Amino acid sequence: MSTRLYPLYQKGGPQLRVFLPNFWLKLVRPDNDRPSNIVQFMCSMEMTRYDIKNYLEKIYGIKCVHVRTRIALGKTRLEPGRGYVIKDDDIKYAYVILPKGETFEFPNLFPEEKEKELKEQEKTFEEIKKSHEKFLSKNSNRPGTPGWFSF
Amino acid sequence: MANFTKALHLSKSYGKSLFSTLRNGHICNSRMISTTLYLRDFMAFFDDKKNWGATEVKSGRSWQKDDLRIKSNPDLHKLWYVLLKERNMLLTMEQECKEQMKLFPSPERLDKVEESMENLEEVVRERNRAYHELERGEIGEQPKETIIGPFGLPEEYKMTEHSIPKEINAEWYKQQQIKCDPRDVAEFGRKYREKEFIEKRRQHKRDFNHVIGLLNRFPKMDMEALKEQYPDVDIEKAKASRKYKPPPVFDD
Repeated sequence: MSTRLYPLYQKGGPQLRVFLPNFWLKLVRPDNDRPSNIVQFMCSMEMTRYDIKNYLEKIYGIKCVHVRTRIALGKTRLEPGRGYVIKDDDIKYAYVILPKGETFEFPNLFPEEKEKELKEQEKTFEEIKKSHEKFLSKNSNRPGTPGWFSF
Repeated sequence: MANFTKALHLSKSYGKSLFSTLRNGHICNSRMISTTLYLRDFMAFFDDKKNWGATEVKSGRSWQKDDLRIKSNPDLHKLWYVLLKERNMLLTMEQECKEQMKLFPSPERLDKVEESMENLEEVVRERNRAYHELERGEIGEQPKETIIGPFGLPEEYKMTEHSIPKEINAEWYKQQQIKCDPRDVAEFGRKYREKEFIEKRRQHKRDFNHVIGLLNRFPKMDMEALKEQYPDVDIEKAKASRKYKPPPVFDD
């Protein structure tokens, strides 16, 4: 059988083993205040609590004490001007509890230094834009003539 | 290439190189399993620290089928997990960027990883098929059947294993008995076929007029290429049309 098809499990049969799992797992910033030993994930809808525990332990080497999951209902809204309802996809969240003494803090992925650098770049870009506009405005009363035409 | 470096990194930790043809085998064999702190940590879900807040992250190409065909099965198995981790990392970064209202740098990385995973699975499937054809005389894929569905249209039915035969499987029979009123099915079929026919006729007319337009604009066009691209259009008939007005040709 193919890679994604497993034989029907019957009592006494061998344990089913997943060789190429295609589950995905996203580590997300916790949506509200929670103890520092709880880590929040988004996961594929098919994953069970055991799947998540095994996934973290076998692939990432992260030990967890307990896993809770919930399915968040996707929001519904009216399409403006059309009158039909649009529903976002449901999301499965997993809350992983770490063993005693282990904590996890979601890092700040956008360091301030880089932000400053980016802002400076934007500033210089704006200046260049302004000077170019000024350069173009010289010819505003003589449209069609090239930029080098006037002194 | 982030994938490549990570693959090397992980393969080192497994004690066997994915790229043993490229690297010195002795060094690799001497190193037994030693997972680094980086791999065991939650930081495996995040990109390298130097890429945090970057506007662009450079990456190489995805794994092609030809690259994967020369790898052994254990290597492919390891590479799958490398790709899986890479995808999780990219999904995490993308989600965080979305939440912080920032642009996700180089989103093509996700496509590359997904393409690599598809290719890898295809290669594994190829090997599976070869094994099954050699040993059992079948493809080894899930068997399929074309059945007539409740709306009177042909459908693909994927056969699965059941613990009891279908003669005594009441639940399965119940699922199969979903049927519409035959008169409704007949009417639906008639209208469906009419719709298909009209669409086909319109397409043919569009092609015909387009060919005339092409002949008018490019009278010295390669006729065989035209015939190949529009096999349904009769070019002689198109030339006989009153819309066919080619420009005069002076050079010969």
